[in-house]
Amino acid sequence: MTSLFGIGKRQDAPVDFVLDPAAEELDQSRRNLLRGLGLAGIATAAGALGLVAYRDEAQAATADGTSGQEHQWCRVVDLRACKGERKCVAACQTRHGLPPEQTWMRTLSWHDDAGKEFFMPVMCQMCQDPPCLKVCPVSATIKTEQGVILVDQDQCIGSRACMAACPYEARYFNWNAPAPTNKMPEQSPNTSEFPSNQIGTVGKCVLCADRIPYSSDLPACVEACPRGAHFIGDLVTDVAVNGQSTVKLSTFLREGNAVRFKEELGTNPRCYYIPGNGQPVGGPLEGVR
Amino acid sequence: MSSVLESTTVRNEHPDVIEAAMRPFGKPSRKFLIAALFLAIVVAAGLGAWIYQLRMGMGVAGYTDSSFWAIYIADVVAIIGVSYGGAVVSAILLLAGASWRAPLVRLAEGTALVTVLVGAAFIFPHLGRPDRLVGMVIHANVASPVFWDMIAITTYTFATFVFFLLPLIPDTATLLASNPDELGRGRRALYRFISRGWVGSERQRHVLHSATIVVAIVIIPLAVSVHSVLAWAFALVSRPGWHESIWAPYFVIAALYSGVALVILVAAGFRRGYHLEAFITKKHFVRLGYIMVALGALYFYLTFADLLPSAYVGEIGPTEIVYGMLLGSVAGWFWLFLVAGTILPLVLVALPWTRNIGGIVIASILVVIAMWIKRVIMVIETSGYDRLTNSFGELFRFTWVSITMTVAGAAAITLLLMLLFRVVPMLSIVEMQELSPGADASDEGSASPTKSSHGRAAGVVGAVILLMVGIGAVGVTNAQPARAESLAAVATETLPVVTVTAVEAGPENTVTATVTLNGQPVPGVQVNFYESTTMFAPGDNQVPLGAMSTNETGMASIKFVAAVTGPRTITATYFPTVLGDPVVGTANLDVTEAVSLYAPTPPRLLATAGQTLALILFGVVIIVFAILIAQVVRVRRVCRPVAKGSGEPVHGN
Ligand code: SF4
Ligand code: SF4
Repeated sequence: MTSLFGIGKRQDAPVDFVLDPAAEELDQSRRNLLRGLGLAGIATAAGALGLVAYRDEAQAATADGTSGQEHQWCRVVDLRACKGERKCVAACQTRHGLPPEQTWMRTLSWHDDAGKEFFMPVMCQMCQDPPCLKVCPVSATIKTEQGVILVDQDQCIGSRACMAACPYEARYFNWNAPAPTNKMPEQSPNTSEFPSNQIGTVGKCVLCADRIPYSSDLPACVEACPRGAHFIGDLVTDVAVNGQSTVKLSTFLREGNAVRFKEELGTNPRCYYIPGNGQPVGGPLEGVR
Repeated sequence: MSSVLESTTVRNEHPDVIEAAMRPFGKPSRKFLIAALFLAIVVAAGLGAWIYQLRMGMGVAGYTDSSFWAIYIADVVAIIGVSYGGAVVSAILLLAGASWRAPLVRLAEGTALVTVLVGAAFIFPHLGRPDRLVGMVIHANVASPVFWDMIAITTYTFATFVFFLLPLIPDTATLLASNPDELGRGRRALYRFISRGWVGSERQRHVLHSATIVVAIVIIPLAVSVHSVLAWAFALVSRPGWHESIWAPYFVIAALYSGVALVILVAAGFRRGYHLEAFITKKHFVRLGYIMVALGALYFYLTFADLLPSAYVGEIGPTEIVYGMLLGSVAGWFWLFLVAGTILPLVLVALPWTRNIGGIVIASILVVIAMWIKRVIMVIETSGYDRLTNSFGELFRFTWVSITMTVAGAAAITLLLMLLFRVVPMLSIVEMQELSPGADASDEGSASPTKSSHGRAAGVVGAVILLMVGIGAVGVTNAQPARAESLAAVATETLPVVTVTAVEAGPENTVTATVTLNGQPVPGVQVNFYESTTMFAPGDNQVPLGAMSTNETGMASIKFVAAVTGPRTITATYFPTVLGDPVVGTANLDVTEAVSLYAPTPPRLLATAGQTLALILFGVVIIVFAILIAQVVRVRRVCRPVAKGSGEPVHGN
């Protein structure tokens, strides 16, 4: 278990309310760079094409115009509650019309020496210093102001550099045609928040960002878990819910000794894991047997 | 016209060079036609496979999520890699003053040009959406190593083209002057265009020579940059096996090694096909063979240096990768590479009785194939490694689509070379003429290439790019003191009443609940406090604030700092019986001062280094282009005054 969690700063920083707005900087720095080189002409030309600034537009289009000061989304996975039923996986597959080999949410499992099985759902960790975003040559991976990492399916050239870079193996590729969009229960509007799968592009967990601000619907995996292991939270308002109970996020994380996965890689993930395996210690007791 | 003939005849001490260089220009032989037709069919089959792949998706080429990078990127690396051979033979040996290179330079430079184009073309099948490639320009991300791959390859291709073009100026002029009739109309027009204004004057030759030297100096760090940035497309991600500091120089040496091998093969092929035995002799092969095996030994050493630290420490990911190479899933291929790709060539060149043209050609074939295999292993093994389960997924499986396309790439290189040297002379005529026959013998033994000062420039570029790997560790703690909790079970007959007051004082809010039963305070019972939020539910979503026991006056109170401003309902609940319904009291609180625990992180260490680096790199690229263009302009300028008034060079000196 510990090997999976790596050597994160478990003692000092279980609750890490930190954000590096690296993504916003990238776009700005690109323009500064071009300007600094006296290539403002190119920047202007590209800007005139309406393409250089596309990332800002994607941010503005996200989450009904609220700014990053109002919400910073995160998720918490309470491993004490997870029994490996994989209902989250199934719900995600259905909602996004994914083929079986493409699992934006996957539940790892392994055995201890006594043969007891442990589970850990893993999905895109919504890194705030996302390695996937840095390596994308065409800026198709975007970070919204509210800290959600999304892929612009219409910009992606399918270089798969992000798949190489993601330390959480959270990205999948649409290798074969036709992409099974028609299988989705709700028709995708083909936005970054709710992409329709296009051949030759990458996909990953989108935090069901089309449901932001999650006031009526929660992410499909959160809604699907009968044990309430999945939480969606907001760091700004300090609240998290699993569809069954509401918790004060900071207290919940602190009392659960929350850790982040592979923190040593500097990815600054926005997904907190509460370690455990069915222990009835604090946390939501509903459904835990 | 006559004056030109006169002046050239004076310089033409070896007219056979001209005759030999023009051998491919005649009517193509049957052998040539059959070969060309065969190669063209293979290339067409490759294009057909690509079209099929475009329609069906990359799955038909064998790609899966556990082999997301595989054969095509290995082809890009391997084929662009062999183009470095041209740079070695032409540029490094030119700067080292090794005049024996003369008969090989044109073939080497042509190989460099053709392979860099074919190699770069393999980026198209590698991409899932090649139709959107223009995105690399119009919304590029300068933080991406793949973006710099594109820049480096473009710059290098341009430099290779210039390097190929400059020495063609005097050669085409010479051919135009000596054998205008045998050239045919197409070549005549092209040669006139290339050599317009060239009369071979002292000044022109001087300028051309110095321009060529400058381009040669520039092309070496450029080639280093191309192979380094290709390596960094792998090394800049945290995957075991790829995330290796040694990878950039490792790729550069791999490129040199396989590049020299390919130059040997091309030289052997043209020597045989066009009977160039008088010019390209065993001596050339032996010298190139020495260079090749020296690089091979270096590559062997780097392979060891790459694997040892990974295996020694025992970190699970790198160890699995090394195990996979030595004993695991790709072990067969790895040992094949090691034996056939490094040891056998060394033996073939080292043993006197195999140190002949045949032996060296066999060694080169082994090197070219084994180095391709090595690239495939390096790519597919790590790509198949899952860092969450620490195990390998299914490794890449070759399919007819990817095999056909790769074979078509090799065929395209051969075919393009055959066609290229039907258009331009395959021997560097003027350079060979300028070298007296005695010069060949006198420089015996000066074969070893030397690195000169431009290595430093490359080093600076490399060092600066390395800064891109910014590693930041962040950690901000934010903890609240834990609240003591006490439990007390109270059972009463009549229902108690909970009244709540909430007062804001600065950022801190005090919430007090009073529990009474028939007007009497209820001490020592636990009250739970909640605040309502509009988050995650438009109605009354209750966030727990904590629990507190009532004192002897029946009062429990807690303080909390709200995360957001605005009105809310404060709720206090008390369970009079363990299983019954709670007693609830509420109060409204309009928070005007709130403190959110959320704060943006401070920038990572080296956060601005990437920007600075990119800025510097842009500057370097612009300077390189300026230098290269300046050389072309320089040469053109010395040609210009003479060209005025006449399309043909009329004056002698
Ligand atoms: S988990 Fe992977 S895909 Fe998600 S933000 Fe991090 S690096 Fe990107
Ligand atoms: S948040 Fe949505 S997309 Fe992400 S794993 Fe859950 S259901 Fe799938």
